[in-house]
Amino acid sequence: MSTSNDYDIVIVGGGISAATIAKTVIEKAAAQTPPRHPRILILEAGRATAMSADKYDTYVGAFQEALAKVPNSPYPASSSAPQPDVLDIGRPIMGPDGTTKVPSDNGYFVQMGPLPFGSDYARSLGGTTLHWLGTCLRMLPNDFRMRDAYRHSVNWPLSYEDLKPYYERAEWDIIGVSANVEDQVYPGIGGDPAKFFKSANTAKFPDGVYHFPMERIPSSYLDQYLAKKSAGLVVELTDREGRPHTFPVELSNTPVGRNSQPAEGYQVIGAVGNFDQGQRCEGNSSCIPICPAQAKYNALKTLYELIVKYPDRDPADGARKARVAIRSQCVVSRVRHTQQKDGTGTVTGLTYRTWFDDGSAPVDHTVTADTYVLAANAIENATLLLASGAANTSDQVGRNLMDHPLLLTWGLLEDGVGAYRGPGSTSGIPAFRDGSFRSERTAFRVEIGNWGWNFPENAPYDTVHDLVGGGESGAVGLYGRALRERLGEILPAQFRIAWELEQDPEPTNRVTIDDRYKDALGNHRPVIHYDLSPYVRDSLPWAAEASRQLFTQLGIGDQVRRPEYRPGDYTHYDPNDPSAVTHDGVTYWVRGAGHVVGTHRMGDDPTTSVVDSHQRSHDLPNLYIVGCGSMPTLGTSNPTLTMTALALRTGDRIAEQLKGNDA
Amino acid sequence: MTDHGTPTPSPQQIFTELSVALTGFDRAELAGTGLIETYYTTLLRIIGEREAGHLFLAAAEALAADRRNHDGEALRRQVVENPRYAPVIVSLIKLWYLGSWYPLSGGYRDINGSTAEDVEHVVSPQAYREGLVWIAAGAHPMGAKPPGFGSWAEPPSLPVF
Repeated sequence: MSTSNDYDIVIVGGGISAATIAKTVIEKAAAQTPPRHPRILILEAGRATAMSADKYDTYVGAFQEALAKVPNSPYPASSSAPQPDVLDIGRPIMGPDGTTKVPSDNGYFVQMGPLPFGSDYARSLGGTTLHWLGTCLRMLPNDFRMRDAYRHSVNWPLSYEDLKPYYERAEWDIIGVSANVEDQVYPGIGGDPAKFFKSANTAKFPDGVYHFPMERIPSSYLDQYLAKKSAGLVVELTDREGRPHTFPVELSNTPVGRNSQPAEGYQVIGAVGNFDQGQRCEGNSSCIPICPAQAKYNALKTLYELIVKYPDRDPADGARKARVAIRSQCVVSRVRHTQQKDGTGTVTGLTYRTWFDDGSAPVDHTVTADTYVLAANAIENATLLLASGAANTSDQVGRNLMDHPLLLTWGLLEDGVGAYRGPGSTSGIPAFRDGSFRSERTAFRVEIGNWGWNFPENAPYDTVHDLVGGGESGAVGLYGRALRERLGEILPAQFRIAWELEQDPEPTNRVTIDDRYKDALGNHRPVIHYDLSPYVRDSLPWAAEASRQLFTQLGIGDQVRRPEYRPGDYTHYDPNDPSAVTHDGVTYWVRGAGHVVGTHRMGDDPTTSVVDSHQRSHDLPNLYIVGCGSMPTLGTSNPTLTMTALALRTGDRIAEQLKGNDA
Repeated sequence: MTDHGTPTPSPQQIFTELSVALTGFDRAELAGTGLIETYYTTLLRIIGEREAGHLFLAAAEALAADRRNHDGEALRRQVVENPRYAPVIVSLIKLWYLGSWYPLSGGYRDINGSTAEDVEHVVSPQAYREGLVWIAAGAHPMGAKPPGFGSWAEPPSLPVF
């Protein structure tokens, strides 16, 4: 290691990017000539979560006891490292001139509007992989070249082909993805999934015939029912010029980071500290907010591997080995650097505060390293850089904040399909993910939900309230066997679809800081300006119309509303909801998908981007700013897989550049 | 005080029989949750022993009449549709089905006042896991009692009752 610095690498944030980079650097550097054995420190702002299965179980208990079972409900927050919560989402009040009159600041975020940013993330070791769904779709080739293909948004400095080997490694070496190539029929890949997935790694995949490390997670009974009922359906939508666009409705089993039957030679990774548990998905039906078995990947698994293999002490046998230290409850407050305004410089250290919550004061520390990595989540990376006045010559830090604005539609089917069973989603309808329409309106992914009306109507709770009664009259509705029987008719027939829209990058959708808004440790809270562009809004009526055509085909075209229960389309949007968006006189609800993207975008041009294609700061060469924040555009894939692929590429680069006399 | 000199049922026995009639789950199914005593004491704490005593007396009489007549009319008329007891019945059914206590509805608290515990709360992680709604749905509590790999691909089925 370096003689003068405390560590070779310090990573801010203990989530999947940090875990991936640490593991990649260590393994790659050890295999180089001469080998290197870096000393790495990971600083996690939040709590240590759990590094054993029994401790993890306490979070499962916290979820079960939580009143509102929202994504962050199992993971306690602290005022020293606060986290956003979907229960805090409120609507800011806007003035007639479009400026913010009263921000909504009842949670961690300060929402400046006009729309509230609707997503959360977890500040706890393991990061938001603690409560992600596990969807692992690769981005499509055109997603990387939106400017060239559709004259909209920007191109990536990377192509799908560039990223492909890293996607393979993310699927095999970090997450562990279950899928079958032949199921992955998407638009924009030339009709042949085998070609889309064809691997250059012929040593591992003879003739380049790619396969995932594990078999597909079986499609739900609902998926099978929908596939049968919608067979042959072609959704037709009309663009602004009156041209029809056709979308064949075909279901595709979704690749996921959830354990299944392994391919030959693949070692399934079970629960942290209890390898036998979580070898297969057991059908707990709670991927979000917590997988009790840990059959779903979370970053604790990779972090656990690191601290077991590379403990932070001198090896007893004198062998040279990398060392990894993980410290929780350490919030980095400043990136110290030598950068002058509009110039370059180097990072000279990080200032962080360790907090205790036991009544004693937090303690300040400074740590130095040869290489610094910010991997704290897109919004946290942005606030930290802005507070530090670092890496922002381009003025793009905090800008181009994106999510997958999500439109829900839901209905009661004519038949029981066994809702509330299995992973949150096992299939999607990929038809709307690419096409010439992307020059005028945004693409969307269709996720079929297996958990009834859990998301749109707080079911089964609200279904029980509807049937049992109470309220002003206090009178009893159904009870006894009649109640049990009616619930058995209604609940298994509930289903919902999420239409997840690709958000385009806009400089005005941004994270800023304001000295009036700080947390208990004195760090800046994210101040967020957020809206949906016309490009995004124009796809709301398309998604709604596609849903109507599908529901009609399913025989549930009738509009029905609770508390009445009969087969029909229950989709409705209350204009008073904080997530309400009105477009062409029609109101929609646009929820967040938890995909926080785009605040330090990558590019070749330092004047328009924050990092290069290796996620290295244009301004501060010993600083890498990593994660979903680096993505110039979002595509219609859930971003974690792409983030992991990018982290692998960054890890390779850091390993190549490891300096020091330790070797 | 029953017909034919059979022993007087204890309040907890009455509570159990009442719960069977209100939920549509039999005594063995309710006992299997391990929560009869918990819910009995929960109810007593929240509505008070005095009001609970009145409820159990009315319920015992109605259930006895229904046993004689082989129907559920007396319980329906004298307890379920009785405005005095209806809000308690609503909360009790929801307690069994959802594992959470929901505050007493209607004008209950204007007549009886309110207790500190009469707020929405999950009784315990076990209560959540044993919510009857999941069985009624032919499912399992989300985040517990997993039915096994691939079970979600099978056609749904509801337990016969």
